[in-house]
Amino acid sequence: MNTASFPDRARVDARDKVLGATVYPGDVPVARILHAMTVPSRIAKGTLTALDTSAAMRVPGVVRVLTPDDFPSPAPVSEDGPPPPPPTLEWRIAYRGQPIALVVAETLEAAIEGAEAVRPSYAPEPFAALIDSEDSERDPGEDVVFGNAEVALSSAATTVEATYVSPTQHHNPIELLVTTAVWEDGRLTIYECTQSSAGTRGATARALRLDPAIVDVKSAYIGGGFGQKGGIGQRQTALVAQAAMLLGRPVKIVMPRGQIFHLATYRPHSRHHVRLGADANGKMTAAVYDAEQEQSRHGFFPCAEYHESTCRLYGIENYRGTAADIRIDRQPPGWMRAPHPQAACFAFESAVDELAHKLGRDPVTLRLANDSRIDHRTGNPYSSRFVNECLEEGARRFGWSRRTPEPGSMTASDGTQIGWGVACGAYPSMMVPAIATLRIGADGSTRYAVSGHEMGQGIRTAIAAVLLEGLEIDPDRLEIVIGDTTAAPQHITAGSWGTAGAIPATAKAVARMREAMRELLAGREIAGNLHRQLSTVRRPFLQIEVSEVGPGQGPEALQALRRGAYAVAGPEYPNFTTMSYIAHFVEVHIEPRTRRVRVPRVVSIADCGRVISPRTAASQVRGGVVWALSAALREATEIDPRYGGYLNNDLADYVVAVNADIREIDVGFIDRPDPLANSTGLKGLGEVAMVGASPAIANAIFHATGKRLRELPIRIEHLL
Amino acid sequence: MSKDEWVEESDKGQCSGFGLTRRDTLKSGAAIVAVSLSTQGPNSAEAAADRAAPLPVTPQYPLLVRTTVNGEMVEVEIDTRTSVLDLLRERLGLTGAKKGCDHGQCGACTVHVDGRRVASCLTLAAKVEGGEVVTIEGLSDGDNLHPMQQAFIDHDALQCGYCTPGQIMAAVACVVEGNATSRERIREYMSGNICRCGAYAGIVAAIEDAASKMGRG
Repeated sequence: MNTASFPDRARVDARDKVLGATVYPGDVPVARILHAMTVPSRIAKGTLTALDTSAAMRVPGVVRVLTPDDFPSPAPVSEDGPPPPPPTLEWRIAYRGQPIALVVAETLEAAIEGAEAVRPSYAPEPFAALIDSEDSERDPGEDVVFGNAEVALSSAATTVEATYVSPTQHHNPIELLVTTAVWEDGRLTIYECTQSSAGTRGATARALRLDPAIVDVKSAYIGGGFGQKGGIGQRQTALVAQAAMLLGRPVKIVMPRGQIFHLATYRPHSRHHVRLGADANGKMTAAVYDAEQEQSRHGFFPCAEYHESTCRLYGIENYRGTAADIRIDRQPPGWMRAPHPQAACFAFESAVDELAHKLGRDPVTLRLANDSRIDHRTGNPYSSRFVNECLEEGARRFGWSRRTPEPGSMTASDGTQIGWGVACGAYPSMMVPAIATLRIGADGSTRYAVSGHEMGQGIRTAIAAVLLEGLEIDPDRLEIVIGDTTAAPQHITAGSWGTAGAIPATAKAVARMREAMRELLAGREIAGNLHRQLSTVRRPFLQIEVSEVGPGQGPEALQALRRGAYAVAGPEYPNFTTMSYIAHFVEVHIEPRTRRVRVPRVVSIADCGRVISPRTAASQVRGGVVWALSAALREATEIDPRYGGYLNNDLADYVVAVNADIREIDVGFIDRPDPLANSTGLKGLGEVAMVGASPAIANAIFHATGKRLRELPIRIEHLL
Repeated sequence: MSKDEWVEESDKGQCSGFGLTRRDTLKSGAAIVAVSLSTQGPNSAEAAADRAAPLPVTPQYPLLVRTTVNGEMVEVEIDTRTSVLDLLRERLGLTGAKKGCDHGQCGACTVHVDGRRVASCLTLAAKVEGGEVVTIEGLSDGDNLHPMQQAFIDHDALQCGYCTPGQIMAAVACVVEGNATSRERIREYMSGNICRCGAYAGIVAAIEDAASKMGRG
């Protein structure tokens, strides 16, 4: 295992990014391109009875309008096969905003005008738009049970009970959903901002009944993903691909944000009923936690996963968790940054704060007293767990000892209410397989191809860090090819397992390359870097291939990876459990007259195992805190119960944190390698960064005001 | 991956449908006029170098626009509905400015028109007739980065990079306007540019740093 810390290093793709030279999928230069625009359904449920495209076809520049008749019937779904691809165009309408036609034109302006000229007729049906709508259906998920929580709760010295609510939220990466499809010489090449290039290949092939072997997907750079661009696939992809194949010309779509609100996934509205019990010493003995979320009629974003983190935050031996989907007529929800733990830990960590207050205990010391070496869900030990170290270091940096416990006790002389809050987060550390090819040339070049997608988290920089630490190569001519199905088998990059896939494989590639060089040189001492050494022994290049799997995974995981399937291990491994942890400390100021909430400073300390790329890792944690602040104080998608759509479907009305909302965010890492999860000791960071910061804000608001707010987002009107 | 590498890819035949590259469009810059692409095969990137992609179909209301983009005179026939952003991206091959909302709400499309920052998605191309447009591609002096660009690298003021061209154009304007005099003021005057990755702390630090090097602020 690599036991040394990694040095600070600039983001490897930053120069291209500040020059505007980075090529995102919408920037790929393609000759003779056609522009496409989708027509969204105006009804939430029913049947499209007719589609009059004559006026659209008369718009100068419109070349074709694709309708449901232009697509094959849906692919049959097999029980143990991959999940169904997103539907193409269909006569049945399942949600408002579902695309019903695709207008293809010579110019963008003509495509937009054409889309507005399509005249659909509908046979609408009654629908349920909200989690509380009458026609919703309750669909229970699997329970998570260990110990006997009801008994333990009834004998607890102190209990708390409350319901917490997290709203519908949309990812809103600044890059829109973009797909360019090129059909040429019997190959379909798709340039798309996707976190799952192989998944896009498979879904598109299944939807259009193509052999996946003729489909290539390239997603070299993504303008923010946050889960929207992974998961269940993007609905516009197959539409644009079919148009390109029918017309024999490249077709590009840049989805308008208003339409993205209606057809991409989102964080579902969820409700969390939490009961906690503690003994007289403040040891938490029982948790009973019932979660429910809004869900589409056929969606599969799993409700039971609300318990993944909460059952492992503390050493609670008796836990009963239930979960349910409330099925309604909207598009499917999906994975949005820190998917379940964001809402679940908001509820749970608020409840822990309520417990601390009721016990008269400091919320940091209460947490410190409830650590555990054992995952009580499985009975196995944690491979590494430094959540208490996060709390202690955070408390030290924040100056927590100066906090006075009574709510409202830190009010400033001008009436500004000041509150200090704390909360923790945990996120499963999951591992995925990878296959990598490394080629070093005598000409000074290095090319490394591996599974992974760069959406800004810094995966290229982390890969470069490992390569440049281990090999004497020219950093300026290092090419890292990821997100490309033609370069290496691609696994979906999400769930904080991006580095877990790419980095151990990269470390292995470095070791294998050093070995190969030793064999090649056979004891000869040659000066200079590896390029120079190859040149001296007249070897044009040296290439090696390696593969790596997660703990407990075997060749079947590599086969799944080659097929483009999902091959995730953890957080429960054969003999241990691995989680990433974080502790957030937050100061809030509430202005006495406007009641505006400000967050002047945050301290966040993370245990993500070994930190591979310190600079981008720190940025990722800051970004996670910004997300949590935005989720706690700003973001909620407003659903229109009359029509089933979204009212605030743009960035003026869906309010996210802007520059003026963010002040100081101090980030630290424990940076101790996990001994079991993988060879580099990393545990994953991007998701856990966000978890716990929203409840830390809510807890700080309670400390400032004495007001316990259990529904996000918390806005001025809640503090009047 | 830089644009040059994409060109290499196309040379390999993997995506030989690509003829036009922005860099090639920029290389000659000069007179950009609408001509037919019909004589051009897939490998005629050089031949296409000094032209904007012509309008493939005559719109109902065409307009000839003459403007300066990054110091080069541009003369191009447009559909009157075309925004500056779509003109840059879809016709001139200048893809640095980004479309994030098309409603003037996110700032990713920020460019300078006659020295002022504007949302190019909300600005009709017809409005820049006779004007001077500067995009992120025109900010650096060859290989020498603008101090703001260097500061964004030094402070890791970006993650995915998609909002970055707009942030940098807005940041340069923020300094030139005299609005980079304090962290508080920078935050307010940069709040029209959303960074969903949340790189705000780095952006503010970068602007403070660059402002001192730009001799203002």
